[in-house]
Amino acid sequence: MGASESGADDRELMQRLASGDRDALAPLVERHYRRLYRIALGYLREREDALDVVQEAFVKVFQAASRWDGSADAGPWLSRVTVNLSIDRWRRNKRRGQTFSPLAEGDHLDVLADHRPAPDHGVVGRESGERLSKALRALPERQRAVVVLRHYQELSLEEIARTLGMSLGTVKSSLHRALHRMRATLTEAEP
Amino acid sequence: MTLAHLRLRRRVSLLAAGLIEGREREETLAHLETCARCRADREALASVVAEMERDPLRTAEPGIEAAVLAARVARAVEHARVPGGRPRWWLVALPAAAALAAVALMVPSLVGKLEPKPRAARVTIPQHVTIPQSEASSLMSEEALARIERNLAREQAARYLNQAGEVLVTVAASGADCDRPEDKLDVGEAPERSRELLEKRKLVVDAGGEAVASARGVLNDVELALRQVAELPSCVKRRDVEQVQKDVEARQLLMRIRLMTRELEG
Repeated sequence: MGASESGADDRELMQRLASGDRDALAPLVERHYRRLYRIALGYLREREDALDVVQEAFVKVFQAASRWDGSADAGPWLSRVTVNLSIDRWRRNKRRGQTFSPLAEGDHLDVLADHRPAPDHGVVGRESGERLSKALRALPERQRAVVVLRHYQELSLEEIARTLGMSLGTVKSSLHRALHRMRATLTEAEP
Repeated sequence: MTLAHLRLRRRVSLLAAGLIEGREREETLAHLETCARCRADREALASVVAEMERDPLRTAEPGIEAAVLAARVARAVEHARVPGGRPRWWLVALPAAAALAAVALMVPSLVGKLEPKPRAARVTIPQHVTIPQSEASSLMSEEALARIERNLAREQAARYLNQAGEVLVTVAASGADCDRPEDKLDVGEAPERSRELLEKRKLVVDAGGEAVASARGVLNDVELALRQVAELPSCVKRRDVEQVQKDVEARQLLMRIRLMTRELEG
């Protein structure tokens, strides 16, 4: 959704939130929630967790709006919050011993009944999805974040660096190592 | 392997990721001509990238309306803020309350419109406006008066839809347990609000006549949804809430309400 449609840009919405205008929340959510959902889903590979993370990200934004200095763009900030929360969620799940579980058949049926385009239905949980998830899970946390922002959000190296607060060189090295590691995992997992 | 070759290997990875261009790209491509290992790397890494590009999760939909998520966020914020954490109704219903107040101002003029009046008294300027009707009649043409009436009717229908939308969002965003063993959810005052809205429907909507004709379809579906909600208790079995959610989503009601409200508000 573009700025003209919502009638306000991110900066204006953040300023309104900071001044306590709760009506600014809905348009901010509408502008960003799909993108953030895909970041969290790319990272966590689990629908419910991803939605929880997005909700949590907006809660954080809501609570921290008054501390937002307005000098940075809200979009990368939101992405960064989402990545950090995804990492937190991933660690929490790992501590609980939870591993990736593909969507069960019932979940696919729910998606079908959802009356929305659901391009992932019937694919996640199948072999290729599982292999990819395994390869992504094998990456160190920050490397995985770099890969998700590049290949699930199509951000440039500079945008990734800005979003994650890394140097450009670190982003390049991370991506290089991540791709090689994924290649090794995918090769091992080949039938 | 030299340091220069290590740097080139990193560039090969970036090339496979579609991230280098210009002179760097040319140099890397030239290196590939002479380095079989790097060529193999590029091919293998490109297939990793291609596999990610085919991943359906890249375009997955959240399966939830933005308005519902925003309501959940507002509730979560309020839970975090209030010790003991029962959500405050006003977080969801604040806009609806404002709209309700506005409708309350408008309803007297609509009531007046439903009663037969002499031709000269047809002006339906809200009563809080202090222009005497005879004076208003002399100041405005019939056409201008009809336009004002039409705009008022459309504004009232838009407010009605806004309020109904808030009620439906509240139900859709219900997440707080009110009876965990029975798996029941708290829908707050949504049923009561639905009943209030249904009572107002005739005055607010039907009186709009041709001015709100384009909204009839949405208004009818909203009425059906409100009737569903009106029949609920405030502590509802989860499956009943989910049924309302499914019906609202199947009719794409929240989106249609939003679009129609915009249209009515011009």
